[in-house]
Amino acid sequence: MHATIQKPIDEIVKHIRPGEKVFVVGCNNCAWKCYSGGEDETKMMAKRLEKKGVEVAGYTVPGPQGMSLCKLSHTKKVLMEDHAEEVKKADSFLILGCGQGVHTVIDATNGGMVHPGCDTVFGGETVSDTDIEEYCSLCGECIIEFTGGLCPMTLCAKQLLNGPCGGAENGHCEVDKDRPCGWIMIYERLQKLGRLDLLDPYQSAKNNSKWSRPRSLKVSPTEATFCSIGGKITVSNQD
Amino acid sequence: MKLTTLFDKGEFVITGEVGPIKGAIHRDKSIEPSCAIEALHLNQHVHAVNVTDNQSAVMRLGSLAASVRLKANGIEPVYQLTCRDRNRLALQSDLLTAYSLGIDNVLLLTGDHIQLGDHKEAKPVFDLDSVQLIEMAKGLKRGYDISGNRIENYLDMAFGAVVNPNFEPLDLQLMKMKKKIDAGAQFFQTQAVYDIKIFEKFIKKAEKFKCPIQVGIVTLKSPQMANFMNKNVSGIHVPQELIDEIGSVAKEDRKKKSAQIAGRFVKQVKSMVQGVHIMPLGWTDVVPDILGHADISV
Repeated sequence: MHATIQKPIDEIVKHIRPGEKVFVVGCNNCAWKCYSGGEDETKMMAKRLEKKGVEVAGYTVPGPQGMSLCKLSHTKKVLMEDHAEEVKKADSFLILGCGQGVHTVIDATNGGMVHPGCDTVFGGETVSDTDIEEYCSLCGECIIEFTGGLCPMTLCAKQLLNGPCGGAENGHCEVDKDRPCGWIMIYERLQKLGRLDLLDPYQSAKNNSKWSRPRSLKVSPTEATFCSIGGKITVSNQD
Repeated sequence: MKLTTLFDKGEFVITGEVGPIKGAIHRDKSIEPSCAIEALHLNQHVHAVNVTDNQSAVMRLGSLAASVRLKANGIEPVYQLTCRDRNRLALQSDLLTAYSLGIDNVLLLTGDHIQLGDHKEAKPVFDLDSVQLIEMAKGLKRGYDISGNRIENYLDMAFGAVVNPNFEPLDLQLMKMKKKIDAGAQFFQTQAVYDIKIFEKFIKKAEKFKCPIQVGIVTLKSPQMANFMNKNVSGIHVPQELIDEIGSVAKEDRKKKSAQIAGRFVKQVKSMVQGVHIMPLGWTDVVPDILGHADISV
């Protein structure tokens, strides 16, 4: 999931011009889980904007619960058909969702003016109703086969692939004394699993071209093609 | 002169360390930067002097420029190169540049994280880790860059690396040390150690690698400095009894006491190692005294 946090209301309002009519769009999946753009927060944002003197043309959170705003066909139907009248009156859209959701609204509204209502902070695991934690950096070249599934690109502040730096103290990272050293986590996990041998092979330098943005993916039931600056990679899920 | 030549001859290799100035070297060549003056205190007392690379992620004069200045003054530099601020192009280019400017020794490190320094909002690079950096440097020695392209006039430098004996779990640190040796590290300088038991435990396990090790010493300047290191410098722990000892003398006697403490420690561990690396943090003038107490010399 994409973790998001709302921007401060004054920062949001600062970018809305006098007289500009705003339609507020939330997301019923990730932003709902983050309490940054679910139904309650979207409705509340409409009220908060009005309180600040902003004219609100309408609001919606494309549903049902669990539906992602970034599913273009659905968002397009909800905005351009179900809310056609309000959307027509709107000068811009305030999106309470991630950056993908913002772009989805641009696509859904044939290039409508957008305002991001959130900062997209990371992709994470919903560990509980109140905790979202980052375990993957979306680097395009997964190496966690060698680390018991724990990603050093994410859990190590220096993204080291061949073991820890010398900076950890009492098991904590030199960058933040409150966070554990990712490499000690990896080591302890592999020790428990009896697989410390996985740490022995040299890990070569990362192919960062797979990480260069923007990237795209063409999918079908039988194969997928991943495109990055590093080239196209087509894989089958049938062999 | 490559430090590996000395290790091969069985010499006890002594190195010091200076940090480049926060600023540029004066165009008037008669004006030495303070790091070069500090290095002059070490002349004739050490085999070589490390020149740190934006140490603690604090922006300073480049380690290469300062290294070249030391070399011009007749002092052998150990050029430190970290992965924090350079991607693989810059690292290789800087290695070739260093060799071209006469540098014979390079210490290849990951580098402290940007969060520890004075430019906290900068983008950390870490395109490579220290093991990959050493492997890449070995390629340049053999005539290839990291992408496999041939290069002309291969570099020929001694490659040093670092290891932290204080690290727990130690076996994890040793796993990385072995990877560095396999990648091409030819000697090690350790993080500062103050506890003989910790160092013994480390050396018992590390000696099987048969790679020269210089024990790392950071001179204690005051109880405040020791407490500051315990709180802020990653991977270092100063025991309370040493903090009390340096605090037991008046300020004007601290240099003397500091040399005693460091010299005593080196004397205890010298038979276990192939050299010592002294990081005096500006107090280069105490180094001769440390060596005297330790009963070693170049």
